[in-house]
Amino acid sequence: MTEMKADIMQMNRQPVLSGSNLNKTYHSGGRTVHPLQNVSFEVCPGEILGIVGESGSGKSTLLRVISGLECPDSGVLTYKGFHYHGYGPEKTGKFLQMIFQNAYGSFDPRMTMERSLREGSGADRQEILRMICEVGLTEDLLERKPRHLSGGQCQRMSIARALLTHAQILLCDEITSALDVTTQAQVIKLLTEVRAAEDVSIILVSHDLALVSMICDRIMVMQDGYIVDQGKTEDVINAPSDYYTRKLLNSIISV
Amino acid sequence: MDKKKKQLKRKVMIAAACAGVLVVLALLSGVIAPNDPYATNAALIRKGPSAAYLFGTDNLGRCVLSRVLVGARTTIAATFILVAISFVIGILVGMLCGFYGGIVDEVMMRIADLMLAFPQMVVAIAVAGILGGGLGGAMIALGITMWTSFARLARSHTLSIKNEPYIQAARLLGKSGPRILLIHIMPNILEPVLINALTQIGTTMIGISGLSFLGLGVVAPQAEWGSMINEARAYIQIAPWAVLFPAAATVITIIVFNYLGDAVMEYRKADQ
Amino acid sequence: MSEALLQIKQLNASYDGDTDVIRDVCFELTPGEIICIVGESGSGKSTLIKAIHGMSDLIISKGQILFDGRDLTHMKGNPRRELLGTEIGLIPQDPAASFNPIRRFDVQLKEALASHSRKDEGKAAEILEKMGMPDSRAVLHNRPFEVSGGMNQRIAIAAAMMFAPRLLLCDEATSALDVTTAGSVVDELLRIRKEQGTAILMVTHHLGIAKRMADQIGIMKNGKIVEYGNVRQIFEAPSHEYTRNLIRDVPRLKR
Repeated sequence: MTEMKADIMQMNRQPVLSGSNLNKTYHSGGRTVHPLQNVSFEVCPGEILGIVGESGSGKSTLLRVISGLECPDSGVLTYKGFHYHGYGPEKTGKFLQMIFQNAYGSFDPRMTMERSLREGSGADRQEILRMICEVGLTEDLLERKPRHLSGGQCQRMSIARALLTHAQILLCDEITSALDVTTQAQVIKLLTEVRAAEDVSIILVSHDLALVSMICDRIMVMQDGYIVDQGKTEDVINAPSDYYTRKLLNSIISV
Repeated sequence: MDKKKKQLKRKVMIAAACAGVLVVLALLSGVIAPNDPYATNAALIRKGPSAAYLFGTDNLGRCVLSRVLVGARTTIAATFILVAISFVIGILVGMLCGFYGGIVDEVMMRIADLMLAFPQMVVAIAVAGILGGGLGGAMIALGITMWTSFARLARSHTLSIKNEPYIQAARLLGKSGPRILLIHIMPNILEPVLINALTQIGTTMIGISGLSFLGLGVVAPQAEWGSMINEARAYIQIAPWAVLFPAAATVITIIVFNYLGDAVMEYRKADQ
Repeated sequence: MSEALLQIKQLNASYDGDTDVIRDVCFELTPGEIICIVGESGSGKSTLIKAIHGMSDLIISKGQILFDGRDLTHMKGNPRRELLGTEIGLIPQDPAASFNPIRRFDVQLKEALASHSRKDEGKAAEILEKMGMPDSRAVLHNRPFEVSGGMNQRIAIAAAMMFAPRLLLCDEATSALDVTTAGSVVDELLRIRKEQGTAILMVTHHLGIAKRMADQIGIMKNGKIVEYGNVRQIFEAPSHEYTRNLIRDVPRLKR
C-alpha cells in the first residue's frame, strides 16, 4: 500500500534533470578510454543523488557532461523535459552550478571574495550578505582573498556563489575530499540545509560510500563507465544487488 | 625563510634604484649634458678626458660625455618602446591562442616557430637590411622575432590557467570569453610575462646597439652607443676613450637591467 | 623483550628555527608494535615522520630521537643514510612520486640494493609473490606510470621490505589510494608485521585505518599529541574533546 503511494508520488514528480544513454570516449596516447557507457539517470526536484565510484570510474566525467563543460558523444540530456544536449556552460549555468573539489582553485586568486561573488552572480551586497549568513560565514570574510580563507570557508563560499545564481541544481564533485573530517561533516550538513532552504536538487559525487549514504536519497554506483547499481540509499546499502557494490561496502574501514 | 626574502627584496630595491637612476639620467640628458652633443670643434679633435670634457672628445671634436648621455635616451627609449609593443602584441596573441585554441592557435604558433628557427640577430640583420637604415627599421627588425617569446609565454600560462576551476566556474556563471580573458586570465598571467619583459630589456638593448654598430640602426649624426663605438673604433689606439665610455655605458646598463630582471624573478620564486 | 625500538623524547622541531611545528612529542615504539598518529592537515604529523627519517632540512630544537639505543637526533650524512633503508623503511604517501616514473622497477630496485652494497635481486620479487602476485617478475618489468596506484604502493612496500628493516615509517601510505585498494594495503602491512615482527609507525588522517591497524594511537593537533592510548581506550573512552569530535565526524554508513 505504502509502496504504491510512493510510486504515485514518484510519477507526479517529473524529474528536474535526466540523462539517457550517455556515452563518452577519449583517445589519448593510443589508448581509448570509455568513461561513460550508456549512462542514464534522473534527478527529482529536491532530491540528493549520490554517485559513488573509485578513480577512473567515470563519475567526474559524468558530472562534467551534465554540467555542459564537456559534450557527450551521444545520448540525451534534459532539464525539466527540455533537451539541452550540446549546450555550453554559458547556457547550462542558468539552471545548474558546479562545486569543485579544489575549493581554493574555484576563486580567482586576485579577487576578494565579495568581488568574486558579485562578479559571478550580479547580486547586490544585501543578497550576498544574506547568502553568506545562510552558508554559515561572516561578513568580514568577504574582504579576504581565497588564500586567506580555510578550505572549509572557501568551499562554503563556492556554495554561496552557486546559490546566488538561483540555480536549481548543484553538481558537487568530491567537494569534501580535500577537507579535514570535521570540516567535511560541516560542509555535508550545510548541503542538506541549503537543499531544504533553497529547494535545490543536488548531485553529490564521491568515492566515499559512507559519506554519500549519510545524506543522499538515492545512490548510483559507477564502475569503468557503467552504472552497476542504483536505487534508494537504504536498498543499496542493505541489499546491494551488485558484486562491486558489496566489495565497496566491505572495503569501508569504519571506526 | 623570511630573512632570505628580505635579502632578495633588498636586492630588487638596489637593482631597481640603479635602473631608475639610469632612466632618469637618460630622460634628463638634454639638461645635464655639459656640452652640445652635436657641436663639432676642429680645435678639440680626439682630446683626452679633461675638466671641460670629462669623457674626452671624438674624431670631430664632439663631447663624448654629452653624446653618451643623449645616446642613452635613444637607446633606452627605443628599447622600452620596442619591449612594450612586443609585450602588448605578444600577450594578446598568446592569450587568444591559448584560450580559444583551434586553427588560429595552430597557425600563429607555427609562425612563432618559424621566427624562432633562426637566430634573432640574423633575422634582424636581414630585415633591417631590407628596410634600410634608421632606428624605426632596427626596431621593426628586432620586434619581428621578439613578440614570439611573449606570445609563447602568455599562451602557456593561459593554457594552464584555463583549466583552473575558477575559469570553469566563470563559464558556468555565464561569463563570455572576452570577459573571462580580461577579468580572470589577463591579471593572472600578467606577472610572469612582465618579468619576462624585464629580462628582455638587456638583450633588446644589445640588439639595438648591435644593429647601430653594424650601421643598420640610427643614422649618422644622431648619438647612439652602438654607432658611437662603431665610429670611434677606427681610431681606438689614438683615442680609446671615445670607444671605452659608450661601451662601458652599454655594458653597465645591460648588467643593471639583467640584474633587475633576475632579482625580481628570484624574489617572485621565493614569494611562492 | 620489551626494550623500546624507537623512543621519541620531548621532541620539538621547526622548519625556520623560530616556530616549532611539533612540540613536546613523546612516545615509545617496541619491536613489532604498530603506532598510528592521527591528525588533520597542519597538525604536524608528517613533520614527525620527517624528523625521524632525517632526510630534510628540519631543525630539531629540543628533545631526542633514539633508535635501538642510538641517538638519531642530530645524526646526519652517511651514517643516517646507512640506517635509512636497511633498518628504517619509508613508505611515502604518493607511491608514484617515490620512483622515477620512466625507469623499470627492477632496475631501480637493483640500484637501491647496490647503494647498500647488497645483491639479492630476487628478494623484491619474492616479497611480491608473498603478497599474492605470482607473476611478480613481470610486474617489476613495468615502469611506475604503467601500473595502478595500488600496485605502485605494493611495490614501494616490497622495496622497503627488501632490507627487512625493523621499523617501517608510513606517511599517509593509503590516502592516495582507492578505498578497495587501501584496505588491501593495510592488510599487507599487518601481514608483514605478523610474519617479520616489523614495527610500524603510521601517520594518517583516517581514524578507521588507525583503528584497524594500530596497537597504540596518538591524536595530534597543532603539533602536539593531545591524547595517547591504546585503541580501545581511544575509541571507547576518549578523554579529549578533540578526539571525541574527530570520532563523531567520521562518516558512517547509514543503514
